[in-house]
Amino acid sequence: MPAAAKAIWKKLVWTWKPESEFEAGDSIVKNLLLHWFPSKVTLESVSFRYSLWLGTASAVLFAILTLTGIVLMFLYVPSIERAYASVKDIEYAVAFGWFLRGLHRIGAHLMVFVVFVHMIRVFLTGGYKNGVAAGQNRPLNWIIGVVLLLCTLLLSFTGYLLPWDQLAFWAITVGTNIALAAPLVGEQTRFLLLGGNEIAQGALIRFYVLHCFVLPTAVLMLFAWHMWRIRKDGGLACVDKVALQQKKEKTQPVKSKTYSLLGIAGTRTVHVETALVDEDRYATNSSPFLTQRLLVAILATTVLAALFAIGIEAPLEEAANPAVTSNPAKAPWYFLWLQELVADTTLRFGDFTLNGALVGGIILPGILAGLLLMWPYLDGSPVTATGVWFGPGRLRQNLVFLFVILLIVILTIVGTFMRGPYWVLYWPWEAWELLPRHF
Amino acid sequence: MKTTNPPSPESGHLPRHDEGQGQSRRTFLDRLGLAALLAAIGGQATMMLRALVPNVLYEPPRRFKIGAPDQFPEGVTFLEGERLFIFREQQVFHAISAVCTHLGCTVKMIQLNPPQHVEIRGETREEKQEFHCPCHGSKYRGEGTPYAGPAPVPLAWYLLELAADDGQIVVNLTEPVNQDFRLTV
Repeated sequence: MPAAAKAIWKKLVWTWKPESEFEAGDSIVKNLLLHWFPSKVTLESVSFRYSLWLGTASAVLFAILTLTGIVLMFLYVPSIERAYASVKDIEYAVAFGWFLRGLHRIGAHLMVFVVFVHMIRVFLTGGYKNGVAAGQNRPLNWIIGVVLLLCTLLLSFTGYLLPWDQLAFWAITVGTNIALAAPLVGEQTRFLLLGGNEIAQGALIRFYVLHCFVLPTAVLMLFAWHMWRIRKDGGLACVDKVALQQKKEKTQPVKSKTYSLLGIAGTRTVHVETALVDEDRYATNSSPFLTQRLLVAILATTVLAALFAIGIEAPLEEAANPAVTSNPAKAPWYFLWLQELVADTTLRFGDFTLNGALVGGIILPGILAGLLLMWPYLDGSPVTATGVWFGPGRLRQNLVFLFVILLIVILTIVGTFMRGPYWVLYWPWEAWELLPRHF
Repeated sequence: MKTTNPPSPESGHLPRHDEGQGQSRRTFLDRLGLAALLAAIGGQATMMLRALVPNVLYEPPRRFKIGAPDQFPEGVTFLEGERLFIFREQQVFHAISAVCTHLGCTVKMIQLNPPQHVEIRGETREEKQEFHCPCHGSKYRGEGTPYAGPAPVPLAWYLLELAADDGQIVVNLTEPVNQDFRLTV
C-alpha cells in the first residue's frame, strides 16, 4: 500500500488493542470517525445500567432508517395514482423489498419507542441538570432532545402517509383536521399543509418532501448539536456525580478558583472548577472501551431490528378511499393515546361546545410539550441529584412524571387493544361485532 | 475630514468603528450592506414560502349537479364521491353532509328498524336512521344532531336547487342551511 493511501486508511480505522496511553489517545483524536469523542471516558458513562444505551440505539436506528429510506426512495413514486401500486411492488415484486420496507417500518416504530424511553431515562437520572463544571448548559440539551422527539413523531406521521392506503388517508384527514381546530391560524395551516382544501396530490408531495428531506435534515443537525453539547457539558451527567463523589472523598479544600484576567478591559473573569475525575479509578481510554461499546450497541440494535422486520409483516391496507372510512380507523400505536384524547375531551358548557380536536389535539399536547421544555428550569432539586437514578429531592417530580407516562401508556393500551368498530370499548378477548363493509 | 487611524501593532487593539467622523460613514455603509443582505435573504425567503401557497386549485367544484330528482329512490341515498346523504320523501328533498364535525371522517348510516321516537330540541320525531362515526365514536340523530361522542356541532346541511337548464338537483357546498331547509320538486 502506498504511503498516502495508508495515511488515509489510518484516518478511517483505529487500533483494537492500543499498546500505550499515547496510542489509545491517538486512535480517537486523529481519527476522522472518532474525533468527536473524548479520549477518556468514565466507566459510568459507558455502563449499561446508567444510560441503557438508548441514545446510541436511537442514532443507530436513524442510520438504518436513512439507508433503507434511500433505497426505498428509488422505488417509490410520490403520486396519488401510483404510490399505492409502487408500495405493493416493493412488498411483492422487488427483490428483498419486503425486508427493506419491513426494516424501515419497524425501525421507525422502534425509534419512536427508544427515543421516548431515552427521554424517560434522562428525566429519571436528572440528566438535564447542570453539575459542577463550568460552562454547562444541560437544560438546553434537554430542549434539543425534546425537539428531536417531536421530529421523530413528525417523521413517523409523514412516513405512514406515503403508502396512500386507507390508514394513510384517514390519518392525514384526522391529523390535518386537528390543525384546523387551532384558533386563528387553523385554516391557513391546514391549507398550507395540504396545498389546497382537499387531500390530494398536493398533500402527498408535501408530506413526501417533509419526510425525505426537511425532517431528516433537521434531525441530523439537531443530533450534531445534541452530541456537541454533551462534550461541552463535560460528558453525561453521571460524570458530575463521579466528580462530586471524588470531591467528598478527598480531604483537600475547595478546588474552585476565580481568576480575573488582568489585561483584558472590563470585569471579565473566568470561573474555573475542574470536573476532571481521577482517571485511574473512574475513567478509562475511549479506545477500545467506548468504541467497543458502540459497536456492541450497533450490532444489538441492527440485529434486533432485522429480526423484528423478518418476524413482523408490514401491513398494507386497501388503497385510499375517501368515501369509506375504515372501521375502526386507528392511528399507529404511538398516536393512539392522542386519538383517545381527542375522542374523550369534547367539553360542553350549556350551549357552548369545545371540540375535542382543540382540547385533546392541541391544548393538552401543547401543555405537555411546554412543560417538558420548561421542566429543567422548574426543577429545584439539589446538585447531588445530577446524573443519579432517582436522585435525592426528586421523589415528588419523578412520581408525577411517571404518573403522566403511565396515563399515556394506559390510553395507548386502551386505544390499541380495547377499541372496536365505532370506537366502542371492548375487552381484548371480546369478539368485535361483525359489520357490513358498506351500509 | 479626519483620516482613519490605521491599526497599529504597538497599541495591540483593533481600531473601533466609532472613532472619528470618517468612521460614521463607514458604520453607515456597514449597516447599509447588512440591511441589503437581510432584505435580499428576507425577500427570497418570502418568495419561496409564497410559492408554496397555490394560486390555482384543481379541485372538484363546490357546486355541482347530482342528477334528476326522479333518479333518487324514496329514503336516503349516499353519494360516495361527494360524501353526501340525499334524503327524499316523495317530492321533498334535503341533503346532509357525511363529514363528521369532529375530525372529518366519513360517518356511516345505521338503519333503525323499527324506527325510534326520539326527542330533539323539545320535539318528538320519528327517526328511521342515525349516523355513527368510525374514527372516534360520535353519534348523530337522523337529522344530524350529535347525541354521543366528541362531535361538537351537528352535521352540515347544504342548499339544494334545481338547475334551470335540465332540471337536475344542484348541491351547493358553499351554502350551509339550517335544518328546516327542504327542496320541494
